[in-house]
Amino acid sequence: MDELEILKKDWKRRENDLPHLKASEIYPMLLKKSSSIVKWIFIISLIELSISTFLNIYLTDDQFWLQVETIHLKTITVGIYIINYLITFVFIYCFYKNYRRISTTDSASMLMENILKTRKIVKYYIIYVLISTGITTMLFFIFSILYPPVGENSVEGINWFWLLLIGIAVTSILLGLIWIIYSLLYGILLRKLKRNYKELKRLEN
Amino acid sequence: MKKELEHTFVELLEKNQNIVHKVCRIYTNDQDSHNDLFQEITIQLWKAYPKFRGDSKFSTWMYRVALNTAITIYRKAKRAPKTQDFDSVLFKISSTGYDDTEEQQLKLMYAAVKELNDIDKALVFLYLEDKDYREISETLGISEVNARVKMNRIKKKLRTILNP
Repeated sequence: MDELEILKKDWKRRENDLPHLKASEIYPMLLKKSSSIVKWIFIISLIELSISTFLNIYLTDDQFWLQVETIHLKTITVGIYIINYLITFVFIYCFYKNYRRISTTDSASMLMENILKTRKIVKYYIIYVLISTGITTMLFFIFSILYPPVGENSVEGINWFWLLLIGIAVTSILLGLIWIIYSLLYGILLRKLKRNYKELKRLEN
Repeated sequence: MKKELEHTFVELLEKNQNIVHKVCRIYTNDQDSHNDLFQEITIQLWKAYPKFRGDSKFSTWMYRVALNTAITIYRKAKRAPKTQDFDSVLFKISSTGYDDTEEQQLKLMYAAVKELNDIDKALVFLYLEDKDYREISETLGISEVNARVKMNRIKKKLRTILNP
């Protein structure tokens, strides 16, 4: 008998031991795109951090610190920088963890859970950026009026109501711009993740 | 539309998944690699599915895509047996001791098949799957004569391990 025929016989016999996956187990495999979306969220957050660090170094020259000192915000600014970097690193770490977790997931329900978690963290991150930018902008706005450069009008006679209104308007425009940029950066990825989630949910049902 | 396509595809794959599992079995050595290759083949099948027009059987098309994926990955990972000569492999295997029980013979043959290069492995795989030379040559994109020559060479070598 041909040697390969012996092998063929055994090969056929072993067919019964082959694993059998259910459709619900095959489906997440088509959704491997989820892991590449989460990878992009991680990469974008890293690029964002690099750009903001570069801008910080470039913009915070001696003159900047002099101005900050004039409006009595030096200590607070340093504090804001430290806290901001710490929180940003925590978020980047979370994005990395999400990516690692999602790329090793092999069950539909776990994948769904991870997609939800990722979406939540990205939303928290955007909310954090908006709130921190809002507070910082308002702080700088108020302090630069409270401590005007020498020789200019003092705080007396200022209409605080209008000033506050202008401050809020300027901050809102700034936050609106940031929100648009973030919607473009992360929004598209988040929508894709949502679509994958819905497909998975439909299958689970 | 897309959802319908996905549904049909998953259904077909579920029904024919044995083919993919068998390709994984012949190309990998452990469960993790098996699962990885299965997932990769699934993705490649899914990507190619819109182009599948149904002029061949779904299973025939699956053989082609699955083997091409395995061969590509195998080459990329450079896990190929470093262009090891088949004779030296057989020598290594047969010198580990000869036992004429069928189980031992099978063990030796599987070990020998595992050491084959990516194309030869595909050839043996299709042969084990009962494909004729016309189908083998079509699936692998080689000539029928070439397929026969290669297969005879492999058979001869296997014979030498079992009957040294």
